[in-house]
Amino acid sequence: MNALDYIWLGILAVFQGPEAFSILGLSVSITLIMVLCGFLLGIAVGATPGLAGPVAMAISLPILISVFGYTPDALLPVLGFLVGIMKGATVGGAVPAILFNTPGTPDAYMTTLDGYPMTQRGQAKKALRVAHLSSASGDTFSDLVLFICAPFLAIIVESYLDLPEKTALLILSLSFIAAVIGGSAGKGLISIGLGLLAVYIGTGEDFYPRLSFGTGELARGFPITTAVLGVLIIGAIFKELEETWRKNQTDTQPAQVAQDGGTQRLSWLEVKSLFPYITRSALIGTAIGALPGIGSTLAATLGYTIGQRRHRRRKTPDQPDFGNGAPEGIAATEAANSSVSGANLIPVLSLGIPGNAAAVFLILAADSIGGLNPGPSVFRFSADSVNSELVIVFGLFTCMTVANLLNWTIGGVFMRSMGFMTRIPKQLLLPSVLLLTLTAIYVQETRIEAIWFALGFGVLGYFMRVLGISPLPFVVAFILGRPLEETARQAFSATGNDPWFLFNNPIALIFILLSIAVIVLSARKSKGKSP
Amino acid sequence: MKTTGRTNLLIGLIFVALGCVAAFVWIPLDTQTGLIEKVRGRQIIGDALAPTIASGFLLLGGLLLVLTERNAPNQPTLTRQHLSFITRILAVIIIGVLVMRYTGPALSHIANVFRDDLIAYRLLRATLGWRHVGFVLGGILIVAGLIATVEGRLTRRAILTALAAVLLIIAVFDIPFEDLLLPPNGDV
Repeated sequence: MNALDYIWLGILAVFQGPEAFSILGLSVSITLIMVLCGFLLGIAVGATPGLAGPVAMAISLPILISVFGYTPDALLPVLGFLVGIMKGATVGGAVPAILFNTPGTPDAYMTTLDGYPMTQRGQAKKALRVAHLSSASGDTFSDLVLFICAPFLAIIVESYLDLPEKTALLILSLSFIAAVIGGSAGKGLISIGLGLLAVYIGTGEDFYPRLSFGTGELARGFPITTAVLGVLIIGAIFKELEETWRKNQTDTQPAQVAQDGGTQRLSWLEVKSLFPYITRSALIGTAIGALPGIGSTLAATLGYTIGQRRHRRRKTPDQPDFGNGAPEGIAATEAANSSVSGANLIPVLSLGIPGNAAAVFLILAADSIGGLNPGPSVFRFSADSVNSELVIVFGLFTCMTVANLLNWTIGGVFMRSMGFMTRIPKQLLLPSVLLLTLTAIYVQETRIEAIWFALGFGVLGYFMRVLGISPLPFVVAFILGRPLEETARQAFSATGNDPWFLFNNPIALIFILLSIAVIVLSARKSKGKSP
Repeated sequence: MKTTGRTNLLIGLIFVALGCVAAFVWIPLDTQTGLIEKVRGRQIIGDALAPTIASGFLLLGGLLLVLTERNAPNQPTLTRQHLSFITRILAVIIIGVLVMRYTGPALSHIANVFRDDLIAYRLLRATLGWRHVGFVLGGILIVAGLIATVEGRLTRRAILTALAAVLLIIAVFDIPFEDLLLPPNGDV
């Protein structure tokens, strides 16, 4: 079988998978329906301040697994739904930013700068159209780069990297994530250290479960859902609740929406004038997204700043400046933050390293269901037998393409109808989401300790946020901790028990030196600043 | 609430201490194998190595904060308000989870006082109503309690929202799936 055969099998797995229903004798596969449902849910969630794609992915996962079970047929419908949420939330995030000056997620902050002034001028729908066009363009471009780059990167990794190099690569990834997330290398390393320490509790090869204090509760270790959902979701809910509590105490007035006036459509000339901003930002977002750990907020900020420079040089006197309701500002921001999502899957699929929260849940889904272990071995184009993991990955690419088509066709209309979601008060929504998250954890683990663990991790996540320590390195370390130890054990054994296996191999040595360099450089850079 | 302060220095010192305690006390005392072990004439990586590296990350991170980032501007601060808020919402959630856990079994004990044939909650949890009682009461307590904490007063809207949330969760998890167990039915 060659590459084209695998691509075709992936497409068939989506379109000819288990049937949901048929229309006029034409079978509609369950995967397509799941992509559609996930996409619409994602837009609704993205449009709701206080919620985000990862929250919906976290809550959906146990329900999806209950519906589809742990069979190979479950992978594509579940991954398709999660990918749909991821893409929908990317588009939906602009809605509260534009209509109510409320960034639903940090990366949408820049969208408020020009989106809300447009709303105040009665051009809310036009601003939403600009956001949708830019977001869909950036996302599609990013996906194309993913489809092309991920297989090549994986093949290179698989061909040239042996066990010592793979161990060094995992160390480099952790160092890189520690150094770049949150702007403080020290805090990043602490987050990584805590994540590693947490995942090593109750595990190991010896009969005695290490670091368990001899207790039965810790002997089984922390379930991955309790750590990931606790730190990422419950910690975020606690922080959001606290901010809402503070706002309630200061009693701020809600933002008012102005009446729409003038034409709300985008002319071809306007689209043409936005195109250079979208292109630049899509390139920036994709490049940033391909590096694990660098979030969409940096992409949005960079895209906006570079767009602003161009706009200053080229704008006519009657055009508004960036920050005063320039559609180009929305385009630059939305194209940049949306183009991060597809590229973020490059390190996930080719190296098994999650780069953002959404990628964490895709790995969690693959890990829970089985049948797909994201990493370089997935892209083995075996000629004599079918590599089912590769078929699933091309199926996933097909799901992403379907979600993009949905985005281009119905995404804009659905997004513009979601304005009402922004009116749901956070203080009513967040406690309900918390109960939903705790229930989702319990139905997966079916023991009350899981709830206590999740709450404990939630408190940790809350304090990390308060103290400016990013929780994402913790989660990435929790996921990579076991593979890191396993690969190191195998490398040690394969090199004839050489304790210097990381330093005797030139590529591994380069990775280790890079790990040290990235930390040192980041520490020198962050000497004068703090998040 | 961000000011130039000593937060980085304090965090750094705490994690330097934690890293040292983990590496030199906790890990050696709470793992059975060392960093490198010899098993049947062959050397293998012991269970202590990976956690020791993890504590090394804590130590290094703490040192970086103390040595290079201690005077950074705009350091976040942990205030009494943060501690007060998290204590309050944790109290609400912990009480709610305890109510969720023990209401069903407690009610079955009370019911047994008035029955001749004693019946355990474990047998009742398949029955509609019995299997939901703990989740409904505990869930309402958690959601309404958190809303009341944030709003500063308990309103009818909070209780109705909590009831709606609990019923929605039951509709999502319990009604369609026979194999999914709502809390606390997997424990009792």
